[in-house]
Amino acid sequence: MRRRTFLAATAGGLVALIGAGAGIWSQVPVIPKRPEPDAETALGWIVHRDGRFTLTLPRAEMGQNIATALKQVACAELGADWDTVNVEMHSTSMPRVKATVGSESIKLFAEPLAQACAAMRDALVSGQATGRVAVTPRPVAELRAFRAGGLIGVSPEIAQGREIVTGAPLYAADVRLPGMRFGRVLRAPASVELASRPLHWNATAARAVPGFVALVEDCGPPIGKAQGLGILATRPGALDAIAEALQVEWDLAGPHPRSDIAGALDARLSEGALPHTVLDGTPADGPWDVDLRLDIPLAAHGPIEPRAAVAEWRERELAVWAGTQDAFYIRDVLADTFGLPTYAVTVQSCRIGGGFGGKTLCTVEAEAAALARAAGAPVKIQWTRGQEFALGFHRPPSSHRIRARLGGGRVTDWDHAQVSSHILFTSAGLPAWMQMGTDLFAGDPGVARGMAAPYILGRARAAYNAIRLPVHTGPWRGLGAGSNGLAVESAIDEAALAAGADPLAFRLAHIEDQLLAAVLVRVGEVASWGDAPTMVAGQRTGRGIACGIYKETSYAAAVADVAVDAQGHAKVTRLWCVHDCGLVINPDQVRAQCEGNLVWSLGMVLTDDLPSEDGHVVAETFADAPIPRLSEVPPITVDLIFSNRPPSGAGETAIVAGPGAIANAIRSATGHRPQRFPVRAGDLAA
Amino acid sequence: MSFSLNGESRDIPSDWADEPLLFLLRDHIGLTGAKFGCGVGICGACTIIVDGVATRACLTRAGDMDGRSVRTIEGLADGDVMHPVQQAWLDIAVPQCGYCQTGQIMSAVALLEQMPDPTPEDIDAAMDGNLCRCGTYPRIRAAIARAAEDL
Repeated sequence: MRRRTFLAATAGGLVALIGAGAGIWSQVPVIPKRPEPDAETALGWIVHRDGRFTLTLPRAEMGQNIATALKQVACAELGADWDTVNVEMHSTSMPRVKATVGSESIKLFAEPLAQACAAMRDALVSGQATGRVAVTPRPVAELRAFRAGGLIGVSPEIAQGREIVTGAPLYAADVRLPGMRFGRVLRAPASVELASRPLHWNATAARAVPGFVALVEDCGPPIGKAQGLGILATRPGALDAIAEALQVEWDLAGPHPRSDIAGALDARLSEGALPHTVLDGTPADGPWDVDLRLDIPLAAHGPIEPRAAVAEWRERELAVWAGTQDAFYIRDVLADTFGLPTYAVTVQSCRIGGGFGGKTLCTVEAEAAALARAAGAPVKIQWTRGQEFALGFHRPPSSHRIRARLGGGRVTDWDHAQVSSHILFTSAGLPAWMQMGTDLFAGDPGVARGMAAPYILGRARAAYNAIRLPVHTGPWRGLGAGSNGLAVESAIDEAALAAGADPLAFRLAHIEDQLLAAVLVRVGEVASWGDAPTMVAGQRTGRGIACGIYKETSYAAAVADVAVDAQGHAKVTRLWCVHDCGLVINPDQVRAQCEGNLVWSLGMVLTDDLPSEDGHVVAETFADAPIPRLSEVPPITVDLIFSNRPPSGAGETAIVAGPGAIANAIRSATGHRPQRFPVRAGDLAA
Repeated sequence: MSFSLNGESRDIPSDWADEPLLFLLRDHIGLTGAKFGCGVGICGACTIIVDGVATRACLTRAGDMDGRSVRTIEGLADGDVMHPVQQAWLDIAVPQCGYCQTGQIMSAVALLEQMPDPTPEDIDAAMDGNLCRCGTYPRIRAAIARAAEDL
């Protein structure tokens, strides 16, 4: 208890107040540093002692089970038995590694790890038992981890699997420290783009709640422009009662000029002349054979784990446990926020209970650190589900217009226009003035991802704009590739229909990339493409197909069957996927990623929608922003292409194809082209 | 006040009586297997078994457990020997992020105790209240079928 105006309490416990007004926080954000890994750095990830190895995982573990795959790489290269290698999550006390984003963990980290392990193996064979190993990278062909055989291409029991199924503490919210308090930072129920701060509150009523410890005004930087009011309790369940008792009144700017989000996108799309070009052809003038407008809404990541952090101050040093995709960025932001050198801040990566691109920025960690400083005790904060929706960033809504013209059974002209909000240059990380610079000079590669259709389309243009909205948007599984894939695959399907062609054959006729053609042909075989869709008595049934390329290196094709009842309720009855990510380290976990992507695909078409009113998210629970349920998910078949191509990524690939396949199946079943997502039963009623 | 937790008697301190059982388990007793996911009983990450019935610990008042029998995931295995449901979860590699899986497993255990040979429809009905964002549902179905055979 050593912070500023924190007041000692009278009998019965602690404390009452608080910091001395809101802090002054930097207006210039900390920019993430994302170094590419190399073999020299990788030496720091593997340690040998007395016949055993410790692999410090250079990635965040969030369900891609990368701990398992990189352990396979290490064991294969070291020639070590599975049980002699211990895998540990990293903290920021190791040299910086790049954020765990972009499906890069095998693509970028397997080879440096293998190089380091090969050097370690040679050193041990030569009798070196202590000191630092020297690494001279060797040709990839000489690396044991880059050829199938032994531990490469098999699927051992997943790392941390036993801990998961026995309930062992793995996640940030599982951390317990002596004397730990439980905190929350309340913020205005309004757009995070509007300046807001607590104005009045009923401290007396709050203090009367059993378990109340303190109010904390100095509760860390704002989220967006929303300044908070911190509360501390001896028990987590008291936080709701304290928040209720406070009856905080908020000083709130507004309204936001773009509080009608869909209207803002529509208006910008209608204006035309979109500044950022992905395909720079010039379509000829004239009538179009396909003219589609697609609207894809704001969507939450919806991880089952609301983000959490535990913070503890030790004199002028700060320790934080977090489930984050970028511990080093969290460390840098905390050091900047609290005026500490980076060496005085340690962030321990915990297993993440679902990331999907959404746990990359510093939010709950700074709240926990600020409240722990005020409390003079360790503090745990886990966001409520409502806070996850209101204060996180989300998949941007996007509106697309795609037009295509046919000639001789082929697409001769193509025009794809898109208005979205930001993804890579996320509004959750960059202030508006800085985003104006990126808008002017760089566009947003996250919005552009997957917008270049993987087909030969004649005179093809694709252009976009990103506009800042009152809700924060940013990376979400697949970035723009999910939405762009849905749009492109819907339009190419309509073009096939307009040409009177089979959708698979029509796509093949427009594909030059042989790897894409191969997954498409293969999924046709696996799903028996020419057959009738899965029958459901009394319902309209249909089958759809789609394909795509993720980040120029990974390939997927999917077939979906759907059944639609008379009221228009659509159910996916079967899914197939063929996937090519080059060399496969762990086939079962690549399949698991494909399965996950297909469930996300189903969600994109049928469920994902984060509701907002007047420019702020109003969802409080999963009832307001649902995610797919078990009963909605059909049997899934995943078929992998095995090759010796350098390994690419599997975490986001199938989402380029799955949504299109499902939407096209609905079109096939009903004759109605889904254009508003998620599809509404009313649009599909017989 | 006291209750049976995985077969051992535990006191319920009076100041924790009004807390959700989830927080008594996680933050007072230190059993972190049950997870906080939504706080309103929708997601199922906090599922435990009370007197044989799959129950949402986030909606259950701790004090109401007085005299009851509570089982959590920490009580399933016998030392290093996994419960057949846990073993099926490992054999089929169900978990991705893993956060929902303790709740999934407890719902599956309760299902198989009440219905040792469930049909696919029974499984869907019993498990539909346990959400998983990673999309492990097909494997959850397969693991329950496997565990039913092993039991």
